[in-house]
Amino acid sequence: MTVTFPQKGLPWLLLLPQLVVTAIFFLWPAEQALEQAFYQEDAFGLSREFVGLENFIDLFTDPLYYESMLTTLVFSFSVAIGGMSVALLLAVMADRIIRGKLTYQTLLIWPYAVAPALAGVLWWILFDPSMGPIALWLDNIGIDWNHYLNGNQAMILVVIAATWKQISYNFLFFLAGLQAVPRSLIEAASIDGASPFKRFWTIVFPLLSPTTFFLLVVNLVYAFFETFGVIDATTKGGPGQSTTTLVYKVFDDGFVGLDLGGSAAQSVILMAIVGLMTVIQFRFIERKVQYS
Amino acid sequence: MTDVILEKVGKTYLNGFQAIPSVDLSIEEGEFIVLVGPSGCGKSTLLRMVAGLESISSGTLRIRGEHMNNKEPAERDIAMVFQNYALYPHMTVYNNMAYGLKNRGVPKDQIEEKVTDVAQMLGLTELLQRKPGQLSGGQRQRVAMGRAMVRDPTVFLFDEPLSNLDAKLRVQMRVEIRQLQRKLGTTTLYVTHDQVEAMTLADRLVVLNKGKAEQIGTPMELYNTPATPFVAAFIGSPSMNLIDATLTDKGIELPDGLVLPTDTADAHRGAVVWGIRPEHLDVVNESEADFALRIQAVESLGAETLIHGVVGTESVVVRLSGPHLPEINSLMWLHAPKQHWHLFDANTQQRLSV
Repeated sequence: MTVTFPQKGLPWLLLLPQLVVTAIFFLWPAEQALEQAFYQEDAFGLSREFVGLENFIDLFTDPLYYESMLTTLVFSFSVAIGGMSVALLLAVMADRIIRGKLTYQTLLIWPYAVAPALAGVLWWILFDPSMGPIALWLDNIGIDWNHYLNGNQAMILVVIAATWKQISYNFLFFLAGLQAVPRSLIEAASIDGASPFKRFWTIVFPLLSPTTFFLLVVNLVYAFFETFGVIDATTKGGPGQSTTTLVYKVFDDGFVGLDLGGSAAQSVILMAIVGLMTVIQFRFIERKVQYS
Repeated sequence: MTDVILEKVGKTYLNGFQAIPSVDLSIEEGEFIVLVGPSGCGKSTLLRMVAGLESISSGTLRIRGEHMNNKEPAERDIAMVFQNYALYPHMTVYNNMAYGLKNRGVPKDQIEEKVTDVAQMLGLTELLQRKPGQLSGGQRQRVAMGRAMVRDPTVFLFDEPLSNLDAKLRVQMRVEIRQLQRKLGTTTLYVTHDQVEAMTLADRLVVLNKGKAEQIGTPMELYNTPATPFVAAFIGSPSMNLIDATLTDKGIELPDGLVLPTDTADAHRGAVVWGIRPEHLDVVNESEADFALRIQAVESLGAETLIHGVVGTESVVVRLSGPHLPEINSLMWLHAPKQHWHLFDANTQQRLSV
């Protein structure tokens, strides 16, 4: 449908609020970051000096940056795969039950409404080495839990906290995907002698692949860019650098370390990664993985 | 040998709704049985109960003498063709057909031999590497049948397999299904709501109405001696003319005071349903006529002409062969030969002898 406006000004006026919001909150900061990446600024923000690509060169020669990249990859794939597996399991079970379906589904969706920082705090309390119920229980079965000292345990904690929040979202998509699989296909497979387990892996799961691929990209993007709150509330990137993801490092270097130029250069790299992921999402998800 | 036996098979859903009170049916080996009835009559439910996709609430199902009520669908040695074909969209035609054999642990070379044979029989050889999404409706239908055939089951189950095809293809596939079934000699249970399909395919028909088998018999038995007004109206196209009447000593008194004299042997007197098929009404002179039809509409189909009108206030259809063009609103004099009458008790809905 095409709407024709009598004057030329009106459509622009109607577009203006959105354009202003985009410009102020997205374009301007992006431009600032891009600009900042080529400068070195003193800690008080009083003077700055053009340094060309030096910030980027520093980054790519810094072993800590590569370490953070590795940390981000481990963290992101753990969150994506963990979150999707649990969500798929829950969705398969939710798809089977008949009574109390709505209650069950509603309860499973709730965590999505919890703010990231709150989710972090929740898990931080549960796992607190001196008073957290889970930490105490782990202690009882002989596991010495202290994520302030043990980097791997810290990683496990942030993965759990970040995953927990994402399960609801994945669950919704998987449930919708499962409900879109025609019942007659399952029935045909059961007549064809496939066990429930085999039916799932040979019929249902392949048919869910568009959903799975979509969620994989969404979850990776989430783990990459939207888990700052969770990490800040649980481990603050530590101990050492063990839970400092790329996004957390932008904050840590810029606002704690006060290296604004280096932080800006990292932001520019992250922007490039987001752009790449968006292209992948549109290229593949929209076209490749689907069945008529 | 009797292949499939349904003894007082019934279905009651958890919410208390009784879809099928009780059906008795025994199917001979190699027989083609069609379950036919209007939508919601329970025909698909009955088929799905035989398949094991729906539990059996009461009665027993036996296939080759074996008690099947609690057996999984895979253990019943049946194969089913679904209304929407239910082909696995992510598998090639070959894999669709091989899936059931693979699950049963048939060796690879045997699977290949079997699938190639069946594909050849159905003209699918060229399509084996395609996916269902790249096939036409008719081809998908064939793949669905192929998938059923490779398994060599005791019983074929068809759930309205032709309803998604266009009219021309439907006639073609109907003939193909019949020929294949004859050739393979596999016992078949086939569900449809289309009485033409039912008449042309079936060795015997089961007419279902509200979950009850109104009549079981060959197509000609059902056509010539329908047991109830429901069967009479359902079998044959256009439907039989059925008129509420009263049977007295004088004969059959139609509404509007018309009397068809008869000396029926039946002792029954009272409310009846009198019927005659559109093709059994003869056009005659006024002097030989039983009644006059006031013509309201004429449908010319080339080979035959359907004339719709009223006798008194009752709607009646006459079917004449060849083209006719009578004038609307004119009178047509009709004779209803007694050997073609159908008479039913209006209360018990049972057939009476004329």
